[in-house]
Amino acid sequence: MKVRVIIVILLCSIITLQACATKNSEFNSPQSSVATLQDPLEKVNRVVFSFNIIFDKFILRPIAITYRTIVPGFVRDRITYSLNNLGMPITAVNNVLQGELRKAGVSTGRFIINSTVGVLGFFDPAASIGLTSENEDFGQTLAVWGVESGPYIILPFLGPSTPRDFTGLLSTSLLDPMYQVGGGSASSSLRNYRLGTGVIDFRSRNIEILDDLQNNSIDYYAAVRSFYAQGRESQVSNNLESDTIELEDNMFDEFEFDETYVGPDIEIIYE
Amino acid sequence: MNKLKNIIFSIIILFVLSINAQTSNYSDEEKFVSTFTEEAISILSNDTINDSEKTKAFTSLVMSSIDLSLISKFVLARSWKESSDDQKQRYLIAFKDYFVNSYANKLDQYSGEKIAIIDSEEAGKYVIVNSNIVREGTDTLKINLKWRLLNRDGQIKIIDLNIEGISLIIAQREEFQSFLANNNYDLDKLIEKIISVSN
Repeated sequence: MKVRVIIVILLCSIITLQACATKNSEFNSPQSSVATLQDPLEKVNRVVFSFNIIFDKFILRPIAITYRTIVPGFVRDRITYSLNNLGMPITAVNNVLQGELRKAGVSTGRFIINSTVGVLGFFDPAASIGLTSENEDFGQTLAVWGVESGPYIILPFLGPSTPRDFTGLLSTSLLDPMYQVGGGSASSSLRNYRLGTGVIDFRSRNIEILDDLQNNSIDYYAAVRSFYAQGRESQVSNNLESDTIELEDNMFDEFEFDETYVGPDIEIIYE
Repeated sequence: MNKLKNIIFSIIILFVLSINAQTSNYSDEEKFVSTFTEEAISILSNDTINDSEKTKAFTSLVMSSIDLSLISKFVLARSWKESSDDQKQRYLIAFKDYFVNSYANKLDQYSGEKIAIIDSEEAGKYVIVNSNIVREGTDTLKINLKWRLLNRDGQIKIIDLNIEGISLIIAQREEFQSFLANNNYDLDKLIEKIISVSN
């Protein structure tokens, strides 16, 4: 019964997304030819983006800094590993849905070995015997199934996304085997650990990077959009076995070297 | 059915092996990256010099290893061709300061990361050297880093760094394009903004 519900939801969402995707191409403006992701909702997105920056500045970033100050590096690394490990079952499910049975075996193997020998996933002995895999989410599976990403959207609190990736995020709770474990309070406390700690873990590992990006940006919104679009594109393309580096190559190859203007002799002066 | 699968599988393996056989042909480029990272790390982990000396040494290493003029033009895209000589000159100077300022006084954030070179491959006019950033204690949490290099008559220069699929130069270009699109493609406004951010 439950499986049937999931299938219906999935089909519905795919159809809606496809509709979004076709509609989206009408927004194609010649000026955004460089952008890898369409952004017809830019005005609204920028407003939500500013809200998220404030939320980050006063709540998320301070928590991340406190976390990094109080918790020793060794413990923080263990938490990163354990979060990684808890993501393995859903990765295995997505491996199967993408038709990658071999990878599904690796992900399952990693989860079993690291949860036992690796002490609840705090260590990664599986990697040292050659079992490595990348996290896969349902958004990536939808991409493999040919669903277009749709326009760029900024979600309140959650940040950059697309209709495809947001659907993927919502479906994860239906598909993730970890959500069925233990039942009742055990599974919900596990979920809270992953959600809460996952956000803090990610933020605490990117404090300087995001500070620098924000301070040095000509257009912070556009910088984040490019990072998100490129990062997602590259995660998806490793499933499709096409390389984003190819797309990138085209961009670099189309660029003609303009040797006519040599420019001023730039001296490197730094006091 | 199974037999077919085996045949396909062996073909893929052969294909992968043949690609691997081709890849490590760019030993000059690989050596360039390893020399560059060794020198960079020796500057970054040098505790006998102060921050501004560190930045100075690092800047001269970076400036001799990258093609800043090419990068400056690439990130400006079409606007480069449409700009006047005066704008070009002001832009190049502003962008250079902006570039140096983006890492100046932050070099003390270096915490012992190492670069492990994996292989290299041709990509159009360029050569891509593939590497991993490895931090001690978390050996299995690698960060992939690809170096896009241009070899002009033996003169190798860095054009772009790609971290986990994110090209820094493309990101910079999209940022500039977005700013220009929101400011009537007025290059003077962009130059002003670049100067204000780097100060």
